[in-house]
Amino acid sequence: MLFRVDPASSVPLGDQIAACVRGALADGSAEPGERLPAARELADSLGVNVHTVLRGYQRLREEGLIELRRGRGAVIVPGVAAPDRARLVSRLREAAAEARELGLTEAEFLELARTSLS
Amino acid sequence: MNRATPRLRALAALPFVLALAVHLLLFARWRDELPAELATHFSVGGEADGWTGPTAYVLISTALLLGLAAGWTAFVRRRYLWAAFATAGFAGGLLVQLLRANRVDEFEVVVFSPGMDLGVALAVAVVAAGAGWALTSLVPEEPPVPGQEGEDGPAADGPRLPLASGETARWSKDTGSRALTVLSVLALAAAPVTLLVATWPDALLGLLGLVIGVPGLALARVRVTVDRHGLTVRSALAPRPRVRVPLDGVEGASVREIDAVGDFGGWGYRVRAHRTGVVLRSGEALVVRRDGGREFAVTVPDARTAAALLNTLVERHGKV
Repeated sequence: MLFRVDPASSVPLGDQIAACVRGALADGSAEPGERLPAARELADSLGVNVHTVLRGYQRLREEGLIELRRGRGAVIVPGVAAPDRARLVSRLREAAAEARELGLTEAEFLELARTSLS
Repeated sequence: MNRATPRLRALAALPFVLALAVHLLLFARWRDELPAELATHFSVGGEADGWTGPTAYVLISTALLLGLAAGWTAFVRRRYLWAAFATAGFAGGLLVQLLRANRVDEFEVVVFSPGMDLGVALAVAVVAAGAGWALTSLVPEEPPVPGQEGEDGPAADGPRLPLASGETARWSKDTGSRALTVLSVLALAAAPVTLLVATWPDALLGLLGLVIGVPGLALARVRVTVDRHGLTVRSALAPRPRVRVPLDGVEGASVREIDAVGDFGGWGYRVRAHRTGVVLRSGEALVVRRDGGREFAVTVPDARTAAALLNTLVERHGKV
């Protein structure tokens, strides 16, 4: 799996790390059930703070894409649905970014999302 | 797999077929003069101390020759064709000498003279090796390994992975051999079983299980990493053992199809004249050219991304 972070980008480093995992899962270079690198190891490789990596992993966990287990580290959720879920989350994030650019408030965006569900 | 041509394989099988035919013919011809039980094992002095029935003898000797033939046919290389002939000559010569030694009067002791009979077998092997050497010219030279051309210039060719100026990247992949994992686990499991079941001096053999199983398991699954430190290959289970090629020592990286047996003579951590490798299977491999011209190879999927990132990092490292 390829991780890349660019400190010059406006996207927070933790989000960049999360995006790498999502992308890898979506394009098949990472597989469901695969173990992510240990946070300390990845931080050393990329020259970033361990907490930055952990923030990225935490985001992925909230999105239901990885499991964080004591002693086992971060593991991509097993199951064939994981790549599709990664794609869905990516598109949602794009939509949220677009809404922010358009000047929508959080409430307005959520209302819009609820309307598309019904 | 091996790049041997059908003709080369046929030539490698030929001496074994000949040895088998000669041995079986002589056995049939001398059948009446052979004892009911053939002497097949001899003490250092040449006295027979082990016997085998004729049916079992024929089956075992035939299986031996066929097994050797299968091995040589599968793994033969052009420059080792003579060795296939030497092997067949030695095995065939030994079997015929064994038959000859058994062809004696009923009450005589069967004697197999180690010096004399082994000498004859060796002589047959040498003659056969000569014949194999001469026959090598019938096989066209093997084409050079693809991807070994254009070795000049530091990372001149080879894939690249564009990075922004301040951007950092890391690629890693776990790769393994299921066969090696299973074998290692079996070897490890055999250790305590042997210690429990066998009587004491024999039980020491169980330690072999540990000697084979522990390094086997450590190598059965490895993590390959490319980052600002260079290329690192280590056991996926533990931080050591580990092989690291720092960015300073890398001249360039490329992707190549590797044949485990043909290029490295087997699986595991392999050391060859101009290359080392962590070889867990045949197929896609990341090949790193080190300064000094040596190569380090590791079989891993998605090697193209790894090579591209490594080339990019080496280039950037050189600029700073």
